[in-house]
Amino acid sequence: MTDYDSYRAKARAWLQSMAGEFGMEARRGLSEEQDLALGRRYLAKRYDAGYGGIHLPVEFGGQGRSHVEKVIFETEEMGFGMPIVYFSISLGMPVPIIIRFVEDREWVRERVVKALRGEEIWCQLFSEPACGSDLAGLRTRAEQDGNGWKINGQKLWTSWAQYADYGIMVARTDPTVPKHKGLTYFWVDMHAPGVEVRPIKLAEGGHDVNEVFLDDVRLEDAQRMSPVGGGFGVAMATLMIERYAATDSNGFGPSLDNLVELARGLEVNGKPALQDGRVRSAIARNHAMRAGLDSITTRAMLSMQAGKEPGPEGALNKLFSVRSRQKLSEFAIDLQGAKGVSFDPDGLFTEDWTTSWIAASTGRIAGGADEMLLNTIAEKILGLPQDHRPDKGIPFNQIPA
Amino acid sequence: MSFLYDDGHMAIATESRRVLDARMAKDRLLNLLEQVGHYDEVFWQTAMEQGWTALAIPEEYGGLGLGLIELGLVAQATGAHTAGAPFLTVGYGAARGLLHGTDESLKEEWLPQLASGEKIATVAFADASAPLPPESSVRFENGMLSGTKNAVVGGVRADVALVWAQHGEEPALFLADLSQVSRNPVNSFDNSRLYADLVFDGTPARLVAHGAARQIALETLAAMAIVSAHEQLGGAEELLMMARDYALTRRAFGQPIGSFQSIKHKIAELYGLVELARANCIHAAASDGRENYLLAAADARISATEAYDIAARDCTQIHGGIGVTWEQGLHLHMRRARSLAIEQGNLLFWEDLLVEQMTGVAA
Repeated sequence: MTDYDSYRAKARAWLQSMAGEFGMEARRGLSEEQDLALGRRYLAKRYDAGYGGIHLPVEFGGQGRSHVEKVIFETEEMGFGMPIVYFSISLGMPVPIIIRFVEDREWVRERVVKALRGEEIWCQLFSEPACGSDLAGLRTRAEQDGNGWKINGQKLWTSWAQYADYGIMVARTDPTVPKHKGLTYFWVDMHAPGVEVRPIKLAEGGHDVNEVFLDDVRLEDAQRMSPVGGGFGVAMATLMIERYAATDSNGFGPSLDNLVELARGLEVNGKPALQDGRVRSAIARNHAMRAGLDSITTRAMLSMQAGKEPGPEGALNKLFSVRSRQKLSEFAIDLQGAKGVSFDPDGLFTEDWTTSWIAASTGRIAGGADEMLLNTIAEKILGLPQDHRPDKGIPFNQIPA
Repeated sequence: MSFLYDDGHMAIATESRRVLDARMAKDRLLNLLEQVGHYDEVFWQTAMEQGWTALAIPEEYGGLGLGLIELGLVAQATGAHTAGAPFLTVGYGAARGLLHGTDESLKEEWLPQLASGEKIATVAFADASAPLPPESSVRFENGMLSGTKNAVVGGVRADVALVWAQHGEEPALFLADLSQVSRNPVNSFDNSRLYADLVFDGTPARLVAHGAARQIALETLAAMAIVSAHEQLGGAEELLMMARDYALTRRAFGQPIGSFQSIKHKIAELYGLVELARANCIHAAASDGRENYLLAAADARISATEAYDIAARDCTQIHGGIGVTWEQGLHLHMRRARSLAIEQGNLLFWEDLLVEQMTGVAA
């Protein structure tokens, strides 16, 4: 047994001991507020058990371990359905990024510990009504205001902003230079005057994303996390952190075993559904795809354990898994015939095919749309040219709207 | 069981690729397409000389004692060149079937000859459209085989065949000397695969395994499918690179065609399919002899077949007119993608086997 194996075994044992109080079954029927409160209690216990901020430096309240152990823990934790979704953005990007880019070390340590314990939540104020994939096209303005800054604009699709205490934000400080060069990176107090959060109801019924209006919000210069005009680089660093996150070849939907169990109880043309060639083909193709992604993940972990950078093929996971989850969810609904139209408003997208189906569209857009992921693979891995970009090199305020 | 290739593996991959780069020639392969019954002798000489025929045969029988991982890497290099007289895969299959059989004298007689390459073996499992039929139309009685096996890979040239034939109520595995068998070469879209109908008419044969024969045959077929999957992976990866290179150099409307998303996304999707196939091939090769070996073989086979078919289709499409010319030779891959998809069991077979392994429900 390697050290990693024993780490995994200990983590699993701890998670099992927590499952009764915080796992999937304990959460059924809770309102979102109750679930969030349960999540905060879980994070406090997780922190006390030494599983909070596994890869973060000890001097900031982390455990000082490697990315490998972080991914091992996250992978194990994923199967228990703990109430951690409200903290996924907070701990995923903002917390590591303030450790890297905020100068006041004492303040950072306090924030990190509170975020790791679930006492505070951070959000990420990147996308806007006029820019999603094209992040550098954002319009929120930051203007100098005495020693500090004044922010005006609107952010969109901000996950969990309704519960957030702080946010990291990119804003435009200079519209007279080309778009990537006029951006600056800040942190924002979400309780400051002028910040207004309005939840957005999504097609699937949930409202984990928000509009955030910023109206003359005053920032101190100490809240600036990049050189003036150097915000795009920090934004890219923020997005790169995702490389070391746990992946799920189910595309965060139900497992293939779940589909097999569903099919066992169904018939097609009076015969067991599992004997139908179309059903078998769908299962087999999905199995092959998911097994491939799992093998890629295993090799990435082995690379990291050997102290090497994982291969670029890790970039495939979200693209392939979520897209195929969407199609497989449609298939699962189809398979049930007339019964397929029923809908459980409390269904979980990791268990219920209808909920999985209706939420899958969001998954294919959030955190990098399929088309952007394909562009990234084509350009960064295969060396193909960028798309034609008529706004390249043109000052932002001269780009035709 | 996934793992990272070590330096030894990488050396095999690099060296086999280097040797084939130096010796393979597209024109020679194009010439073989329209002739029935001929194969690329340069490749086979190379395979013997490099020890590829001996690679996965145990040392006590004159082999090098390596396994599916190493043979897979060589197959990947042959796939990139559409090289590969068919014997590398089926020769290994026959040797493996013998090894798992019960007759020690057969192993001692044949395995060293297969390892050196002086004798060529093939595998004749399929009956018509069934890759491994529950009941075979070829029968074994009084020490002799009778009946026809269709389109046996390498059948034009092989000296000996591992045959799936009916032995009373149950099928079993036999080794048949092909010197007296009449062979009807099949005119195929990929003629250097040397397909021939083998007509057994009182052909002497020796029993390799019965009782557990189906399991041995299935595991042999899985081993060959894993080798084939590596060959398909090599072909698909080569096509991916050709598509990428062409998209970077060919210009239209004032820019490289690779800057159009319709082209670059096709190529990015291909990259994904190639990497999934690679991941499954690595996992399957390392699963030999372990739990879920058949499942891993099916995963590799399905994803490699899909990757190679789509790569052949899309790489040709990206090349436009030049892609469909005889001389450019992309059709070598197009043809090989389909011939390999059929050899060692088609997708329908592997999909059904996968689901049976996963759910316990047979088709």
